[in-house]
Amino acid sequence: MSFELNRKLAARRDPLPTTAQIDSVTADIIRGAFETVCFESATFLGRAASSPIINSSNERNAAIVDAHGRLAMGAVGTPHLTFVNQMETRWGLMNQERYDWGPGDVFVGNDPDHGGGHLPDYCVYGPVYADDGELICIQTLQAHQGDTGGKDPGGFTLEATDIFTEGLILPCLKLVHRGERRNDVFDMVVRNNRFATFAGDIAAMIGGVQFAVRMLEDLVRKWGKETIKAAINHSIEHTEHRVREEVAKWPDGTYEATVLIDHDTAGTKDIKVHVTCTIRGDQLTVDLTGTDDRPELVGVWNTFANSRSYVMCQVVAAMDPTIVKNEGYFNAVDIVIPEGCIAQPPPNKPAALGSFHPACEITEAVCLALSNVAPERAQPQLYKIGMPNAVIGFTEAGMWMDQGVDCRSMDTSAVQGLDGWGSCPNALGGLILSEAEDAESRFPILNISREMTTDGGGAGQWRGAPGSLNVKQVLGPTTAMAWMVSADHPLRGMCGGDDAIPYSNHFEVGSENERKIEHTAQALLPAGAVIAYQHGGGAGFGRPLGRDPEAVKEDVLDEYVSLAAARDKYGVGLTGSLEDYDLAVDVAATAALRERMAAEMEAAE
Amino acid sequence: MTYRVGIDIGGTFTDFALLKGEEVILHKNLSTPEDRSLGVMEGLGKLAEKEGLSLAEFLGRCDAIVHGTTVADNTLIEMNGAVTGLITTEGFRDEIEYRRGFKEDIWDVRLAPPKQITPRRRRLTVPERVLHDGQVHKPLDEEALREACRKLRKQGVEAVAISFLFSFVNPAHEKRAKEIVAQELQNAHISVSHEVLPRAPEYDRTSTTIVDAYVGPRVTEYLEKLVRRLHDGGYRNQLMVMQASGGVMTRDYIAGTPIRVLASGPAGGVVGSAHAGSAKGHPDLLCVDMGGTSYDMSLVLNGQAPAEAGWNMHHRYLIGVPMVKVETLGAGGGSICHVSGGQLQVGPKSAGSEPGPICYGRGGTEPTVTDALVMLGILSTDEGFAGGSFRLSRAGVEEAFAAIGREMDTDAETAAFDSWRVVNANMSQGVRRTTAGKGIDPKELVMLAYGGNGPAFAAIQAEDLGIVKVLVPKASPTFSALGTLVADPTIDEERSYFAPATALDLPRMKRLWTELAERAERYFTAAGFPADKVNASYQLNMRYPGQTFALTFEVSGADGRLHDLAFADEGLGERAIALFNERHMAEYNHIREHELPEVTGVRLVSRFATPSPSAATSRAAATAAPRAAKYRRANLGRGFAETPVFLGADLAPGSTVPGPAIVEETFTTIVVYPGWTARVDAAGDYELVKD
Repeated sequence: MSFELNRKLAARRDPLPTTAQIDSVTADIIRGAFETVCFESATFLGRAASSPIINSSNERNAAIVDAHGRLAMGAVGTPHLTFVNQMETRWGLMNQERYDWGPGDVFVGNDPDHGGGHLPDYCVYGPVYADDGELICIQTLQAHQGDTGGKDPGGFTLEATDIFTEGLILPCLKLVHRGERRNDVFDMVVRNNRFATFAGDIAAMIGGVQFAVRMLEDLVRKWGKETIKAAINHSIEHTEHRVREEVAKWPDGTYEATVLIDHDTAGTKDIKVHVTCTIRGDQLTVDLTGTDDRPELVGVWNTFANSRSYVMCQVVAAMDPTIVKNEGYFNAVDIVIPEGCIAQPPPNKPAALGSFHPACEITEAVCLALSNVAPERAQPQLYKIGMPNAVIGFTEAGMWMDQGVDCRSMDTSAVQGLDGWGSCPNALGGLILSEAEDAESRFPILNISREMTTDGGGAGQWRGAPGSLNVKQVLGPTTAMAWMVSADHPLRGMCGGDDAIPYSNHFEVGSENERKIEHTAQALLPAGAVIAYQHGGGAGFGRPLGRDPEAVKEDVLDEYVSLAAARDKYGVGLTGSLEDYDLAVDVAATAALRERMAAEMEAAE
Repeated sequence: MTYRVGIDIGGTFTDFALLKGEEVILHKNLSTPEDRSLGVMEGLGKLAEKEGLSLAEFLGRCDAIVHGTTVADNTLIEMNGAVTGLITTEGFRDEIEYRRGFKEDIWDVRLAPPKQITPRRRRLTVPERVLHDGQVHKPLDEEALREACRKLRKQGVEAVAISFLFSFVNPAHEKRAKEIVAQELQNAHISVSHEVLPRAPEYDRTSTTIVDAYVGPRVTEYLEKLVRRLHDGGYRNQLMVMQASGGVMTRDYIAGTPIRVLASGPAGGVVGSAHAGSAKGHPDLLCVDMGGTSYDMSLVLNGQAPAEAGWNMHHRYLIGVPMVKVETLGAGGGSICHVSGGQLQVGPKSAGSEPGPICYGRGGTEPTVTDALVMLGILSTDEGFAGGSFRLSRAGVEEAFAAIGREMDTDAETAAFDSWRVVNANMSQGVRRTTAGKGIDPKELVMLAYGGNGPAFAAIQAEDLGIVKVLVPKASPTFSALGTLVADPTIDEERSYFAPATALDLPRMKRLWTELAERAERYFTAAGFPADKVNASYQLNMRYPGQTFALTFEVSGADGRLHDLAFADEGLGERAIALFNERHMAEYNHIREHELPEVTGVRLVSRFATPSPSAATSRAAATAAPRAAKYRRANLGRGFAETPVFLGADLAPGSTVPGPAIVEETFTTIVVYPGWTARVDAAGDYELVKD
């Protein structure tokens, strides 16, 4: 539990020792089989779990880690979990004797200081042995749990100054010993959680891992362990090769970006994330030197494993999506994270909120830097929302929470050639949003509106998707918790595109207690209170004056863009009326307007 | 003698299956895309001719004409449906655009959105709100609704979808809105969500309703035209139409929710498979259909093709009505073999039928799976391939694989063999993903292979999945038509109802079931099926609180009747919990001892059993060992060797062919891989068995 341990966990690992030779077709067939095991395991979990975060939002991931702790083949699930699980598995691997590893075992880990993401991300894993007892690989399943048994329901404590406030910490805990569930341990883990359905969820995770381990054992038997090891080595080497090929196409150079977070949860302003991407031949280095390291900051500490993962999420987004996501990425890309900065905190720092910020500013900064070399894929993979308003109540059955999955449209920026669309950026696109009819049947809330706001995204040659305004009423006394950011520093536009609009959040709208949430809030709302959250939308790509005037006209007809913004941001003059759906571009007026605006901009620059 | 006719219209061919007594007669003619009903009439004329009757006499003797159509699918593929508008609850204009956050590829930031059926300007909202318990929170603002109609009229809207929150609990606002829209937009097709898909959640229901509105006018117009032609021709009964749920129903019923015909073609094939498999004593099947562009996989359990309602993504739109699950993989005979990122890949891009594989000699230059089969010696380049219509050629094939070989550092034959391995692996992984999460081990299934290319791969793939028996029916090229013929008239509908299993409101549940039964009775009676002969399966959808996916199971017993609700007694809740736990155990291998499940809906599947052709089941006596017609150098997975080639015409019931061998049948080639034996059963169908 130290920076030294982080260095050990992140150290590059050797290929698996094997004498077997493998051709690329066989290796790829085995990779496909491994990925299908992950698919089956993740599907099993998604269908058997109760937590809406797992079964509706799909915030879960299945991956296979090899005996050296390397992400072995592809994974199936949420990208930011994909690139974390091997780190916490490595802690277990380094302590196999201490923890008495053996066939049929299943473990759980969530410790941010032992390779974990944040406490709610439980990683359940089971080793896979060949018939002769050699450890070949490990099946992992991660899922975000709705509670961690800490001070505050939900696992997020705004004023936490250490990890102990946040709940139960598990470096590596054995849940199943040689095929038998350890009921004492299981009950202890379940007891430390407020969610009534947690026992079922954790049982579903164990079941999913066991199911996959059996299939992997069959595959090891079918192909032979040496062939499997050779296939894993091949898959990782192949990914490294392809990543380096992509990097080699980019121009050499050093590209920097700075992104600011409005404030930490205690109100300290302008928290800085700084990224330098250096490209030399086929080597990409992402260096976070210059990132904030003020020890007094509260709530903005992202764990080391998470920071590596978020860097990688954005690097992956910038590349050919067909490259297999495995350890080869980490072998090809150097990541430098200074010890003690908010992206690699000292031990025992709280970790929950860091997964929102600065984690997302890390992806944003990497994206800004890489937009210089890969503009066609420069879409930041993040959520700029501080955190979704956590709306929490209690019934006889236990705690309920309507949170997290009720975002609608946020942060979907344009890339070169494509307007932002859908609900969230792609890397979060596996999240399936909950619906009002499900939530209202279950919780005492009323959803009033969740529509996109006209002009709610960044303008650009390609425009960001407008953010939505989510308005909700609580029907009984309810706790609500919020952390606001991205108001002073909204999501940044790319390559001349406009920034997204600022986030804003109001509690008790329409009452005499109506208030804007500037920093954080933790309030008991009375029955009938209305909360309204304006999401920031996506940012634009390229200069708005470069947008096809016909596309602007269509946007006005669809009320993504107002008539005023068509004129003032895009320099497009329109004739006809919106009410009669007969708008037409006034070509001459548009040309004149654009010429004047371009001159004014040039003068201003 | 009376007749039943099954008709399936495909892109190229219209297939007919005529049932007379126990006999099935098959016929095929070209489809007529400009007016598909013409091809239907032409084929019926041919069948009449074969029976020595005039068309009028023949149609007059038809008990039933059952029809599967792709008109809805084509509308979605070509995106040429009605100009459609949406009217929804104030505040919820954009749910349909958010797609619940779903994106088909979470790694590709350049993924483009699907074309919107209702762009934002045609999505209008009105003040109104019903709560989850059916209470009206805000009354319907009728003036605002009329104003919305005026806006839609200005935009030339031809079809309107109406979808309000919780309309499946209290449809009053939707019903009133339908009246007003009908007044304001007099010629518009109207689809109303509580009629199309009365269940939560709103995105699923709204999406289904929008697609229903979009395809509705095309489907109704087409069926009306066909009904008119049939009537003019002398047909006096109701036209029955295949649904995606695997059942058929009258044209009148379909007119209410035309979306139910979407994806009905593949469903017909699965129903045909279920029938063929069951008749041969194999009720649990993995059905694989490998055609020119795709590989379709589906499951048959207990002789039924299970229809699932819910998350059916079809042509990038969510369609929540029950559908026979058919998973598709871009792996067909025309799938292109190529090297990408240093890795050999097959598909999903396809050469289609034009220009098609290189070996078709129609100008194709990219090597395909079919070309690989030619290289491997599996497909013949002799005269008479595919029933004699044309001949495959090796010209250009070897060069194309040599080019792949150069990229992969190997020779042309190895490149072709590797392509065969890759497509095999893709298909096996596809099957595993199809069975994932369903608690099914493919090992326990019998494979039923059809489509032109299925039998060439079936046994090797079965081996990969641990399956030991494969059926290859002779009639497989017209399976969808046969499926429409054997499918029973079925109405499968549900209503949302939320309650803990220990606190069921029995009177309310009975009301909902009765409502469903009355609907079924009305349609069955109108179609001439006596209601007292209709089998009714009353079912519940249940889940543990918080689960998204409900499990469905029958609570009425196998021989239920419409309006017989005796099963819904005080003990229902307790029985339901036990049945649910049994299903949950089977599906997920665990139950939650300390949690009580909740009911999320009631469902009624009503079905009228119609006569079906029986299939021969008896094993024919062994005949003398057939002789190979020729030998060919071929690679059946274990390197090139001289391989015996048998002609289907030379084989008789009882014939056995031990692998390695190749059997050339009309329209298809069956590969008997090493370690497998092919047998011909009494019906002339093939059975491949692992030794």
